[in-house]
This record gives sequence, structure tokens and C-alpha cells, in this order.
Amino acid sequence: MVPVRYNVRSLVVRKITTIAAAGGIALVVAVFAAALMFSAGVQRVTVTGGRPDTVIVLRKGSDAELSSGISNEYKKLGDRPEVAQVGGAGAIGEIVIVVTADLTDGSGGISNVMVRGTTPEGMTFRPELKIVSGRAPKPGTNEVIVGKAISGRFQGIGLGQRFDLKRNRPLEVVGEFTAGGSSYESEVWGDLDVIRKYLGRESVVSSVRVRLTDPSKFEAYRAAVEGDKDFSVKALRERDYYQRLSEGLSFITMAGVVLAILFSIAAMLGAAITMNSAVANRSKEIGTLRALGFSRLSILGSFVLESIFLALAGGAVGLVLVMLLSLVDVRMMNWSTFSDIVLSFEATPRVIILSLLFSTLMGLFGGLVPAIRASRVSPVEAMRE
Amino acid sequence: MNVLTYSRRNLFRRQGRTVLTLIAIAFTGLIFNALRTCDYAWKAGVEEAAKDRLATRHKVSFTMQLPKRYIDDMRDPSKVPGVKAATWANWFGAKDPRKRAPFFAGFAVDHNTWFDVMDEMKVEPAALEEWKRTNNGAILGDVLAKTLEVKVGDDLTIESDIYPGEWKFKVVGIYTPLRKTADRNSLVFRWDYLNNDPRATFSKETIGWVMSRIDDPRKSAEISRKIDQMFDERDDQTITMSERAFQLSFLGGASAILKALNLVSVGILIIMLLVLANTIAMGARERTHEYGVLRAIGFPPGSIFGFIVGEAVMLALVGGLLGAGVTYLFINVMIGPMLEENMGAFFPYFRTPLPVLLASLAGTLVIGAAAGMIPAILASQRKVTDSLRRVD
Repeated sequence: MVPVRYNVRSLVVRKITTIAAAGGIALVVAVFAAALMFSAGVQRVTVTGGRPDTVIVLRKGSDAELSSGISNEYKKLGDRPEVAQVGGAGAIGEIVIVVTADLTDGSGGISNVMVRGTTPEGMTFRPELKIVSGRAPKPGTNEVIVGKAISGRFQGIGLGQRFDLKRNRPLEVVGEFTAGGSSYESEVWGDLDVIRKYLGRESVVSSVRVRLTDPSKFEAYRAAVEGDKDFSVKALRERDYYQRLSEGLSFITMAGVVLAILFSIAAMLGAAITMNSAVANRSKEIGTLRALGFSRLSILGSFVLESIFLALAGGAVGLVLVMLLSLVDVRMMNWSTFSDIVLSFEATPRVIILSLLFSTLMGLFGGLVPAIRASRVSPVEAMRE
Repeated sequence: MNVLTYSRRNLFRRQGRTVLTLIAIAFTGLIFNALRTCDYAWKAGVEEAAKDRLATRHKVSFTMQLPKRYIDDMRDPSKVPGVKAATWANWFGAKDPRKRAPFFAGFAVDHNTWFDVMDEMKVEPAALEEWKRTNNGAILGDVLAKTLEVKVGDDLTIESDIYPGEWKFKVVGIYTPLRKTADRNSLVFRWDYLNNDPRATFSKETIGWVMSRIDDPRKSAEISRKIDQMFDERDDQTITMSERAFQLSFLGGASAILKALNLVSVGILIIMLLVLANTIAMGARERTHEYGVLRAIGFPPGSIFGFIVGEAVMLALVGGLLGAGVTYLFINVMIGPMLEENMGAFFPYFRTPLPVLLASLAGTLVIGAAAGMIPAILASQRKVTDSLRRVD
């Protein structure tokens, strides 16, 4: 085995070409890691909103709360043995609408905010909900609370402000809340009956949630409500529901990863060029090493290792740079709900491990052919040069 | 011996390296062109959107409907001068039960005026006549008709994400685009058919949005304001915007993606620069001794500079041309037509236009010159004696 120090020193001595090749790899890894960090952010926001023991009931044929509607008889959906009564209520019926609001970022643009009408039971139903400033809304009034993630990003939708749901029917923001980082933090929550009255939709709710006494009761519950002739509904595990809603965003992750893999081909060519010339310039050295008794295999391993070091150095730089992204939040529309959610780039251990693995692969593939060439150098001819 | 000959010959001294570099340049060029094409295709949609069309919808939410009688106000020239024609539509959100197309735009529209206002879609007059006679008549875009495998006269059953159950239509016509950015993936059917159905009682006598055509695009802001003022005192207030802004409000976040793409496309150029600079620097370093000899026999430093930059630009030119060729084949012949059919809502027209190709070629040449610059300066300023002393 050729000492590792030999490879490290060889890289350091050829500064310019090392920096050029590693720089290319750094950029590729930055794109790759950014896509993964985005995906981790989407996962955290969407999946943490869903609990395994919670079921969401929608009108058959609807894919999201926004387009769903269930009649006022919905409370019957909670009168079943599989359902746990939370705070005295079985079925939590809620209305969901999307409201157009002006952005406060100075762009003059408009976007959509999700408004959820719920009940006091609906609030206790989610123990992760915490008022972080202001106070809780009084039931039966036009008071609302706004999720921390979007508070202040839209005109009228910030603590102490008000916005119209209809002409002369304003909602007043009295508090801000967090909800364990879930997409609820990108919503406005108010009173079910007040919001329904404002909208003239007193007779329907958008969705119904129930908590099961045990997650394993899901199939039994689903069969019961989907077979109920009084309703035409479908039941989904809440977690699956949110997972599906995030699919529209996951294509961005896909696009990012595909782009990074395409980029990596260019960066691997760069690494190959660098390693190729390293082999060509050092044929005398390689010949000497072979003459000293190092086997072909150890020469091969040595050059592959050098290429991997090169790629890892680049990958580490790229990772460090892209970590800065975790300082920014992005507001973007979730196409499945037509409303905005606020996402962040999350640097999870998985992102770091996959990025370094990706760098290693780039180094391996970029360095393999030159390393094979190196291992074939004939000691006699190389030293004669 | 001039710059060109020397540079050209140098390119082939390390053939393996030259070939690898050319592949890298052509490849990065392809990616760059693809990214620019995304941007261009998106902006083309904006440019081509009818500038004389306005969309009016509920001020609070696009999920809220407007009273049907609003259309009469919009059509009254004494109330809003400047509106030439107005039509309306309701969102239906169509799904194919047989899953050939997962989801497409389905609208219930006023069959008497829809295609007069949306005039980038061409329908045979006979089809329009047939539509008037057929209550459940529907007209589809040509691409959608192909996906759903239907032709005029066929029955078609679809589902909605808002209205329950199955909806049966009869295909009375297929529209074709008159503009390359027109949406070819929509289905429209008669609004009265929806309105009279008991499953749609909750939206009875309401309309989703009004699409109007104005006589002077320069007055669009003023007319929009007039329309919104007219409904300001009513229970349902409106917001009026350009057609493109209306479309974009359903595709929000796309601009963030475009920004990210632009950033990434700068990244690919830097990778191109690094690969090229690496190759040139290595070549120049290997030839240090030779440049010393050239200087010794009388070539001025400027010539050495020219040799190296010339070599870099030549490499960039060949790579850039290769990249442009690959881009044409890959995007305009293979991917573009596919994207237009499957993602028509985002990219109704996806081809790399000549200006984008030329601009990227010019960019490649600049990168070539930049990549050659540092090695060229270093090599041309090195003292002859130092160069000659150096043996690698």
C-alpha cells in the first residue's frame, strides 16, 4: 500500500489543477445537497402535520380539503367504537378556504393563504398547537390566530391586524401560533361557525378528522364510514394525506437531483482530466514505486484514493457553502392546495452523508480510468524516460 | 507560423485530454442551453399571453364564485367603456376515470361567447353550431383529445374534483391552437349543462371568473380599476388582472424555481470555466520549456499570450459548436415536443431558439478567453532563462 501522505502531498503540490477540479465538484455537490435539503424541509413541514392515529375524512372524489365538502351530519362520523373522544368530541369538522392577500415583500404581488375554521375541540385535538404571542381567539367571535411561518408576510395577516373575508366582515388577528413546524404554521385559524356564516356555507364542512383509539383500527373505521350510505366519503390516514399533498413539491427535489447528476458528469470529466495529467506527469515516480516493489493493485488503489480525496475536498467545500441556505426560508405555493407554505432548507445528517457519498462516487468514477493507466505503467520504460 | 496553426496543432498534442475537455464543454453547454430554454419558454408564455384580455374574479378567494348577473354589468358599455366582449367560465377540475390523463383543466363556459374571446383557439364553425344543439357537448384541445383517445361524435365520461359523481359528455369539436403558446390540454363544456345539474346546486347561478377583451391594451390598468370599482359596493368584490397574472396566480412559486434555475445555470458556466482553465493551465505548464525556446528565438511575450488564449478560444469554439448541435438534437427534436404534450400548462412551447444558442456560444467563447487568460499571462511573463531552466 502506497502511503496516503503521498497522495495528499501530490494534490497540494499541484495547487491550481487541484482547485479547478475540486471547485467543479464543490458546485455539483452544492446543487445536489440543496435539492436534498429542500426535500428534507418539505418532508418536515408536511409529514409532521400527520399523526398515525388520526384519520381525515373527505368527500369521495376530492383530493384535498379545499375541494371537499361533507354535510352537517358529520358528527355521526365520530360515533364509532374505533374513535377516541378527544376533549369530549369525536369528529372534528373544519372548513378550509384559500384567501388572496397582498404580499408585504414590496413586490406588489399577491398570493394565497389558507384559512381554517375550527372549534375549541379542534384546537385541543392538536396538542402541538401553541400560542407564542398574543392570545387564543375567543370562540364564536371573528378573532383568528395566524401561523408563525406566515405571520407578517401578507398585508393584514399579522398580529393586531385585520383582513376582510367579505365586505365589512373582517377577521381580527389576536395571536400567533406554532404547531411543531408543520404546515399548520402556514395557515390562519378561526372559528368554524363564524367563518361559515361569513361565507354563507353554514351547512357544510370541508373535512372531518377523528382520532383512533389505536392506529391499527384504521381499516375497520375506513370500511365502516366508506360503506355508510348516509355519506359519500373516503377516509385516509392523515400521514398519507399530507404525504400526497407534498408530491407536487417533490418534483422540485427530483429536478434538483437530476440536474446535480447531469452536472456531476462534467465535474467527473474535470477530475478525470486532472488525474490523467497527474498520471502522465508522474510516470517516472510510478515506475520508481513499482521498482521498489509496490504492486499494480496498490498503484491503482493509490490513484483512485487520490481522486477520491480530491472529490471529497471539493464536496466538503460545497457542503459548507450550501449549509448557508438553512438560514433562509422560502415561501412558495403548494400546488396541491393552491396556498402558500413556508419551507426551509434542512441540513440533516442524511443530507451530509449522501452528499459525501456522492462526492466519493464522483472521485471514484473520475479517477478510475487514469488509475488503471497508472497501474499499467511499466517500471523499466518509465524510469528510462 | 501564426497563432492559429500553433494553437490548432497544440490542441492535438494531448488528444485524450482534448477530447475529454470537448465532451465536458459540449455537455455543460447542453445543460446551460436547456436551463436557458426553460427560462425562455416561461417568458415566451408571458410575452404571448393576450395583452388585450383581462380576468376578473372574486377579490377574497379564487374558490369563491361571483353572481352570474355580474356578466351583464361587464357587458354594459355605459358602465365600463373599453370592454369589447366578455365571457365567463367555472372551474370544473376534470379527471379521467380511466387515468389516461391524471388531471387536466376542465371548464364550464358560456358556449355562445367563449371562443370569440379566447380566439387563439380555432374551432370549426360546424362544431360551434353542433355545440348549440348539444346540451352536454364538449370541445377539447387537440393534444388532450389524443391523450384521451376520443374524436368528434364520441361519448366521454369524466369526473371532477369539486362536483360529485360521473359526468357524461359528447365530443362535438376539437380545437387547434393558432398561437404556439396556446393551451392544448383543456376541455370546455356548456355552463348551462353544469348549472342545471342537481349536483351543482351549491354553485347555482354563479360564475368562476369573467374573461374580457378590451379595445386598447394600454388602458388595461385603467379598465381593471373601473371594473373593480363597479363592484366595490356589492357584497362580492372583484379583483381584475391581466390574463397572465391570473394564470400565474395558480402557478405561484414558479418564479422562485426560475430564479433557482438561473442561479444554477451560472453554476454550470463556472464548471465549464474550471474544466477549460484546468486543461489550458496543464498544457501551458507542460510546455513551459518550449515557450522558453520560442522566446529565445525571438517571439515576443505577446505571441506566447496569443498562442495560449488562442488555444483556449479554439477549444471553446469547437466545444461550443458541438454543444449547440447536441442541444438542437436533444431539445428541439427529442425533449421539446414531449414536454409540450405532457407539461403544456407550464411550457406550451419548449424549443431552444436561435438567439439562445448564439448567446450561449458567445458566452462559451468568452469563457474560453477567460480560461486562457491566467496561464497566458503567467507563461508570457516568465523570464526566458527561468523557462529554459525548467524541465518537467
